[in-house]
Amino acid sequence: MSEFQRQHPVAAVSRALDLIRGNFITILVFLFVGAQSETFPFLWWIGGGFAFLLILGVANWWRFLFKVEDDMLHIKSGIFVRKNLYLTKDRIQVIDITSGIIQRMFGLVRLDIQTAGSSSRQAAIDAITRDRAIEINRILRRGTQKSDTPEDEITELAQEPDEILNRFKLPHKELLIAASTSGSFGIALSIIATIFSQVEPLISESEMFEYLFNMLPSQTDTMMIISIILIFIVFAWLISFFSTLFTYGNFSLEVKENEIVVSRGIFEKKRITVPYNRIQAIHVTEGIIRQPLGYASIHLESAGYGDGKGTGSIVLFPLIRRSEILHLLNDLLPDYQKEHEGIRPPKRALRRYLFRSAFFITAATALLYWGMNFNLWIWIFPVLSVYWGWLKYQDAAAAAGDDILVLRSRRLSKSTAYIKKKRIQDATLIQSPFQRMRNLCSIQMYVASGDHGKSFRVKDLEYNDGLKLLNDVRKNGIEFSELVDEQVVNKKVPLPGWG
Amino acid sequence: MQEPQFHKLTPRAIRVWQWGNFIGNLFFFAIPAAYAAVFGLDGFHFWMVVITASIIFILWQLSIFLTPYLSWKNWRYAIDEKEIDLKRGILFKTRTLIPLSRVQHVDTRQGPLLRWYNLSSVTISTAATTHEIPALDSVLANRVRRQISTYARLAEEDV
Repeated sequence: MSEFQRQHPVAAVSRALDLIRGNFITILVFLFVGAQSETFPFLWWIGGGFAFLLILGVANWWRFLFKVEDDMLHIKSGIFVRKNLYLTKDRIQVIDITSGIIQRMFGLVRLDIQTAGSSSRQAAIDAITRDRAIEINRILRRGTQKSDTPEDEITELAQEPDEILNRFKLPHKELLIAASTSGSFGIALSIIATIFSQVEPLISESEMFEYLFNMLPSQTDTMMIISIILIFIVFAWLISFFSTLFTYGNFSLEVKENEIVVSRGIFEKKRITVPYNRIQAIHVTEGIIRQPLGYASIHLESAGYGDGKGTGSIVLFPLIRRSEILHLLNDLLPDYQKEHEGIRPPKRALRRYLFRSAFFITAATALLYWGMNFNLWIWIFPVLSVYWGWLKYQDAAAAAGDDILVLRSRRLSKSTAYIKKKRIQDATLIQSPFQRMRNLCSIQMYVASGDHGKSFRVKDLEYNDGLKLLNDVRKNGIEFSELVDEQVVNKKVPLPGWG
Repeated sequence: MQEPQFHKLTPRAIRVWQWGNFIGNLFFFAIPAAYAAVFGLDGFHFWMVVITASIIFILWQLSIFLTPYLSWKNWRYAIDEKEIDLKRGILFKTRTLIPLSRVQHVDTRQGPLLRWYNLSSVTISTAATTHEIPALDSVLANRVRRQISTYARLAEEDV
């Protein structure tokens, strides 16, 4: 492995396809504009474009070299500007093995090696054989703790961490529930809306609307709008259903000596390796649809980039019964202290929660109702928003253990975060003028995650409790002079409270 | 054990902010100017321009003669072997703790205004966030930077 190697030639094709995917909109616009002019040598342009991309792909493949030596991955890349990338194994956060459809046709995989920081996006080998990927993975992962043991012992140790200690699968029933209650629903809806807004001028001219109009039972405009919205929702739901099904099908979670391996995907298979000592935080999310059903999903924050959007969130378990979360986490992360006595915001914070949630919605509703003569039914939204505020108040809580913080809060879904104190990048206490009047404060903890980090926040805690939490994060535990020692009567709550 | 030693910024910071706001906030007068250019200055529009311009004028004056003082008054920083502690904010009071073991890099920066007053700002980056101590005497800023990087090296741990 100490010689420089090229990737499998398929990398050239997949590279070209990546370029097409990256510039999809540009190409589409180009084609549309082109198709309208008469003199445009259409086929020539398309053929030429593809040939150009293919040449680019081949050149990239030719100039891309990698080797592994001394527990370090060295990648040389770039057609004209040569780039040398050195990755040492101590800095690796996450190793990611993906196989897309093209790679799978040739029995190949894509290997992503993520370090903290955004430059890691270039540390990817597009197409190598599965065996080689696993070999590189093993070389880079072995003996992280004991690097100075003799050679023969290392080979012994190298086998041991690969042993799977425990394996969790996602049952089919849970997969189906996960797919049908998936949060990507909203995203799918917005995609459809965008497409529709583009296509709408075309079909409104056609007989399509007339046809729909005749099909529908009641021929009023309102009925029409409602049924169109319903059709949209069904479509969006179908899209999110199948995308979740394909993403999380074949899900399995393997626990090894010092790392967790998540593998998932039906068409595009993904295999993510996270060493235990690189986990920045764990958070459990109970979505608004999933919570009443008693289900939640578990995420993990890593300092690698995770998904393409630059956040470091990795789905650790897509759907799990609330009552089983603690069992799973106990198996997975025994060193995380899980049950605590949490502090809740005091009663006088409730009105702030209600006001924050309801104010804008009520104002907008009033405007619509009196200004634009909307139906009386829209007053249901302010009522819901008050309920929402009350839920947020109920769910806000924080607790500090020996080496861990637990922060629970709700935006739309309820999220419970476990953060090791030594993983906190910065801890902030904020007081607005109104909070100062009522002696309240908000706290916010940042952990490293992807490019920008991720923050967890609990609003309107007692000022003294906020200071205590901040003081807990301090290593030398200096007492703040503002800290009141008297025992304020607090509302306590057992965390995490998943029953 | 007791509260860490808090320091204030140099009073010269006020001058820097005053000049900075004096120049920087002039930009906002472009809003009534653009409005006047689009709608003209007849009747109703004239009053719109006058009102927005005077609101902006008042805020501009406040940003020169009031907020720099308050901001300076509220800024405190403390650095010890384990943590950096920053307190700031006029209306929204913020207190931030940065464990030194989490500091990725520290640098000092100096724009033209800061250079004129012989000041520098110290920027502290962690893997997630970036914080700034805005105006310190250049010599002091360098000392603070060295101090932070020394402490950070002592407190070194993996990400």
